[in-house]
Amino acid sequence: MVTAVSHYLESVKDNLSLDLSSETEVIRELESHIEDRLHELEESGVSEEEAANTCIRLLGPAKQLARQIYEAHSQGTWGQALLAAMPHLLFGLLFALNWWQNVGWFLAMLVLVFSVAIYGWRHGKPFWLSPWLGDCLMPVVISGLFLLCLPRGWSWLAIAVYVPLALWLVGSITFQTIKRDWLYSSLMLLPMPVAIGWFLAAQLEGKFPRYSTGLIQEYAPWIGLSFLVLAVAAAVFIRLRQRWLKIAVLVMSGLLTSTLVCGYGWYRLGLPAFLTLAIIMLALFLTPALLKRRIRRGEHQPVARLLP
Amino acid sequence: MTKRQESMKGSVDSLLLYLVSQQPMYGYQIIKELGRRSQGYFKFKEGTLYPALHRLERAGLVRGEWQRLPGGQQRKYYHITEAGYHAMAEQRNQWRDFVAAMNLVIQPAYH
Repeated sequence: MVTAVSHYLESVKDNLSLDLSSETEVIRELESHIEDRLHELEESGVSEEEAANTCIRLLGPAKQLARQIYEAHSQGTWGQALLAAMPHLLFGLLFALNWWQNVGWFLAMLVLVFSVAIYGWRHGKPFWLSPWLGDCLMPVVISGLFLLCLPRGWSWLAIAVYVPLALWLVGSITFQTIKRDWLYSSLMLLPMPVAIGWFLAAQLEGKFPRYSTGLIQEYAPWIGLSFLVLAVAAAVFIRLRQRWLKIAVLVMSGLLTSTLVCGYGWYRLGLPAFLTLAIIMLALFLTPALLKRRIRRGEHQPVARLLP
Repeated sequence: MTKRQESMKGSVDSLLLYLVSQQPMYGYQIIKELGRRSQGYFKFKEGTLYPALHRLERAGLVRGEWQRLPGGQQRKYYHITEAGYHAMAEQRNQWRDFVAAMNLVIQPAYH
């Protein structure tokens, strides 16, 4: 009896994809419901095993219950959707209006993004945080690429010191966000291949850094458009309830931005470049899902603490 | 889905809001109370209760609070909020208008 019910609750927990405190509360509430129902059934003379099976049947399939509860929790407000879109919108404007060359604007933007991300991180990691975190990590990654492009001595320094540190930072933040829901990690990592793609497009064309700056200026409207696509994707992602629709939005925005990068930045390289970027996108998209599975296996504990 | 469940589908939120406006209740208690008040007409599909309660809670219409029962068990009681009262009043008015209009249409015609 207890085994059937505890398996049921574990299955609900595995499919919830909420933050740890919400998951614990949901399971606790379902436990108390089952406890009441079992008590009533057993008092009416039903056997323990039959009572457990009736309880499970009345609650319905575990996956379906978990999905419905997830959908009740997963939709953000319009305000949260706007806030989630904001960092990508700001980066998009920075390039579309060609303000990226102005150091003042650029620094102000970075300070704003870092401040909001730190605020969100310290205040319960709300729905809207992932895009801000992603745009915080983007300069970290791009700085590493810049260092690798510097003359030989500097690039070794980058490989030895900066790259491991940057990877550790990106990895640990990704790991923390996966604990809530791997989809939010994917949302966070979404701008990374876009930024790397545009950076490499500028590098492939000519000598670093003078020629590259000219190229970035040429690409600026398209870079702005890529970030606008990411902003719309982030807002839609927050407003959607269904998990599969959220995944579809991430995949679509990834494909659209890859097309923009390859269409206007890497057009000389053609299809192979598009496929490479699409594979990077897919890898970044799927890594959090795989990591989440490993974390789940590692922390698997029985959830039921029902009747003796 | 039975016809009763079909007709109940659009009224779940109103029923839940009305019940917890009478007194704070926990999930299992809501199911029992609904069955008792409707004399067994409304049989809540248990799996749909908690998603509905959580949706109302996320919308700020009810507030969940864990309380200890005299026996020591803990239960999550749902309390209606100010916004919940407004939503319930609005839904009740809509329901009354609907019932009144239905009665006008389906009552026997006098010639």
